[in-house]
Amino acid sequence: MIEFSKVNKFYGDFHVLKDINLTINKGEVVVVIGPSGSGKSTLLRCINRLETISDGGLTVNGVSVGDKKTNINTLRRNIGMVFQHFHLYPHKTVLQNITLAPMKVLGQSQKEAEETARHYLDKVGILEKAGSYPSQLSGGQQQRVAIARGLAMKPEVMLFDEPTSALDPEMIGEVLDVMKALAREGMTMVVVTHEMGFAREVADRIVFMDEGRVLEEAVPADFYENPREERARLFLSRILNH
Amino acid sequence: MDFSVLTNNMDAFLEGFKTTIIASLIALVCSFILGTLIAVMRIAPLKALNWIGTVYVEFIRNIPVLVIVFFTYLAFTFSGMTAGTIGLTVYTASFIAEAIRAGIMSVPKGQMEAARSSGLSYGQAMRFVILPQAIKIVIPPLGNQFINLVKNSSLLGIVAGGDLMYQGDLVNAKTFAYVDTYVFVALFYLVLTIPLSFGVGYLEKRLARSN
Repeated sequence: MIEFSKVNKFYGDFHVLKDINLTINKGEVVVVIGPSGSGKSTLLRCINRLETISDGGLTVNGVSVGDKKTNINTLRRNIGMVFQHFHLYPHKTVLQNITLAPMKVLGQSQKEAEETARHYLDKVGILEKAGSYPSQLSGGQQQRVAIARGLAMKPEVMLFDEPTSALDPEMIGEVLDVMKALAREGMTMVVVTHEMGFAREVADRIVFMDEGRVLEEAVPADFYENPREERARLFLSRILNH
Repeated sequence: MDFSVLTNNMDAFLEGFKTTIIASLIALVCSFILGTLIAVMRIAPLKALNWIGTVYVEFIRNIPVLVIVFFTYLAFTFSGMTAGTIGLTVYTASFIAEAIRAGIMSVPKGQMEAARSSGLSYGQAMRFVILPQAIKIVIPPLGNQFINLVKNSSLLGIVAGGDLMYQGDLVNAKTFAYVDTYVFVALFYLVLTIPLSFGVGYLEKRLARSN
């Protein structure tokens, strides 16, 4: 449902993404890993056009993301996104954070949107915080609200951009648990993360990136037991053996 | 201090006071709306709009308000009150636009990204996510602009706008008690500006608490 073909991206002279070819199928959980600055987040952010690609083709459900004729707002309805720093709206309650887009974009009534919001808050385990403001929540709770906010639009795919990197170590588990549950339900997910345990347990496929290229794609067992690329081997040895 | 200057001419002072309040209120509301629009134009992802917004701010902000008021009065066939209020609005809007723009820029970039990635249009994201946050940051500089606006409304007097300053001049012509008259005029302005100043302070505290 997501297809990169020969995608390149430049920031000025800097070549961030180099000839990316990647297909993500419906229901698949793809985890993108790699060292900092390898282009993982940029790759993810191209999918919903938070970043524009310089050349090549990128389609979501057959619709070209970069095409001028594509209504980007319509496309984005189907693509939920969770950020490293949550980006909850600080002036709105948890419930209002979740109901905003369903009401304004999908035209749901307040009652309908709140019902949906409560359903997903319950799912991420913090229904009791519906009336709180984001600043009253812990980082882990905020990230779970952000996930519920994404789900409330009933997207076909969820993008996660280092969702646990800004969290206290104690709170990482609660967010990963929500993501695991989501993966088990068959949600299509693209996850940029450094959580190797999560990748190993949940991913259908690991995509390893370095210096703007996809160096290796493999199922987790193969990737972790026997990475083909020297660079991937080095990366794994550095992050796993400490 | 000759209080008879005040008591004998109370009608004139009150008439001017009323006009000053009305002109200030109209200019306040209109310059706030116009200023917000221009601020959004300056940062919208559309070059042509950026250009219009920037030209507006750089031109208007750098012309003395007195010249603008004279221009609106002389170039069109408006009454002094109308010309003065329009001039004030146009002038104040450029400062309000800059204050609001600074406020919008200070909202973290991730807020716009989160809003847009959920499918909200740029306008919706501005209206529901960015502006409500920017306004809190903008309240103190905005308050200063509103206080300036009330004081600048005294320029209506120069184009026969019927405001406090204008009425004060008429009282002068009649009584020759210049100093006393201007002291009373100043007091009337303070009646407006001091509560405004406190109001802004109060609002600032309340908004800070809601965060």
